Amino acid sequence: MGIESSCDETAAAVVADGRRILSSVVASQFDTHGKYGGVVPELASREHLRAIVPVVRECMEKSGIGYGDLDAVAVTQGPGLIGSLLVGITHAKAIAMTHELPLIAVNHIEGHIHAVLMDVEGEVRLPAVALIASGGHTHLFAIDEGWKYRLIGKTRDDAAGEAYDKIAKLLGFVYPGGPILDKLAPYGVAKRSRFTAPRMKGNEMDFSFSGMKTAALRWVESRDMQAEIAGRKAMWKSIAGTPTIEDWLRVTPQETLDLIASFQAAVIEELLHRASDAARDIGASCVIVSGGVACNAGLRKAAGKLRVPVLFPKPVLSTDNAVMIAAAAFRKAEAGEYADLTLAAKSSLPLY
Amino acid sequence: MRTFETSNEDETIAAGVEIAKGLPRRCVVLLEGNLGAGKTTITKGFARALGADETEVSSPTFTLIHEYGPRLVHVDLYRLESEREYWTLGLEEYFDRDCVVLVEWASKFRQLLPKDAIEVRIEHRGGDGRRITVD
Repeated sequence: MGIESSCDETAAAVVADGRRILSSVVASQFDTHGKYGGVVPELASREHLRAIVPVVRECMEKSGIGYGDLDAVAVTQGPGLIGSLLVGITHAKAIAMTHELPLIAVNHIEGHIHAVLMDVEGEVRLPAVALIASGGHTHLFAIDEGWKYRLIGKTRDDAAGEAYDKIAKLLGFVYPGGPILDKLAPYGVAKRSRFTAPRMKGNEMDFSFSGMKTAALRWVESRDMQAEIAGRKAMWKSIAGTPTIEDWLRVTPQETLDLIASFQAAVIEELLHRASDAARDIGASCVIVSGGVACNAGLRKAAGKLRVPVLFPKPVLSTDNAVMIAAAAFRKAEAGEYADLTLAAKSSLPLY
Repeated sequence: MRTFETSNEDETIAAGVEIAKGLPRRCVVLLEGNLGAGKTTITKGFARALGADETEVSSPTFTLIHEYGPRLVHVDLYRLESEREYWTLGLEEYFDRDCVVLVEWASKFRQLLPKDAIEVRIEHRGGDGRRITVD
């Protein structure tokens, strides 16, 4: 069994043999019908506390097995909010103690990597490169022989998914705006000059997305867009449910679509350029892409053109879930890497 | 009130170092500034001055709270809308520690944050130039 509670999601899953999902329950703490383009996260420890018991109970019921059939219980140790992590860890310890099961500590980021490996036939040949891009993280790792992780680069400012959501909000789209921009991007024409790739001092494999956000802000400020933005907000307030892409297209002029296409192209270039350079440098057999941004259709399409094979998780396993925690724990169990009941939450937990 | 005028990223980080050096061991700093003003950049200066690794600094918008070593906590309230959400964060526990708690997008929750908080405002003034004021 895996348990995850590092950010907005309270999740539990039962996975057999590190591959077969018997059950997976994710209670997301944000309401996507945000009042004005803002997330309603209802987050943190008190909310996890409310969700953890029903989530684990539902997960066990759906799995069709009993606690006595479990081999181990795995939990996210970090990185994340300390109070939120504690809820999952305490619950996992209670299960481990009551049912005399070994406890396994999993790094959230490593979980994202294993979400991809679940669907790979056979073993992944190492070394490999892993790119984790979500709302909160943007990391590039080398995975060396023996599953040793080495950090190659990370964001110096905003995470990739955060840049999507902030630019979407700036343009008057509803939260979470990343998927909307991804769907609208093919309707625009990308202009290379609009978002120039940042030049990095120091580690040139680091990422930066803050400059793109600033460029989009200047673009919005340089033209009178208030009416257009107000038009979008009025549209999604007027319809019941989630607006379709056709709804968004009706209230988004070509110029804005071109901006969105340019932004999307710049983000994809920033991510894949560094991932493919890293793969070439270490002679990687493949690039593993995971995290919420792995759902991005433009990224998936562009990745198909790289020389090295690129592996993505199923969209449902791209965002935070507990299946990935159980999957990552399987290899640790095989290697005998168990935790004990003194396991402590770590708000920052490097994977290297 | 102190004012810094910087013309590039390195100078903005250096201003952050200067400001952080003069802070009490335990305090709350409200970091105000628009999207892209340079809040993450100046935080790197705070990290450098407070014995943390400045390369660990990144935006906590999604993750909400980042701890950089024992003396600096970086909070972002951008995603929060209601008072109830604010209280679920449990920031009071950080306010009671010997550390600097840097809070971004605090204006929505100003009345809930300590009255004696120090305000640092960062403004864009063309190109890479920034004006930073400390109150």
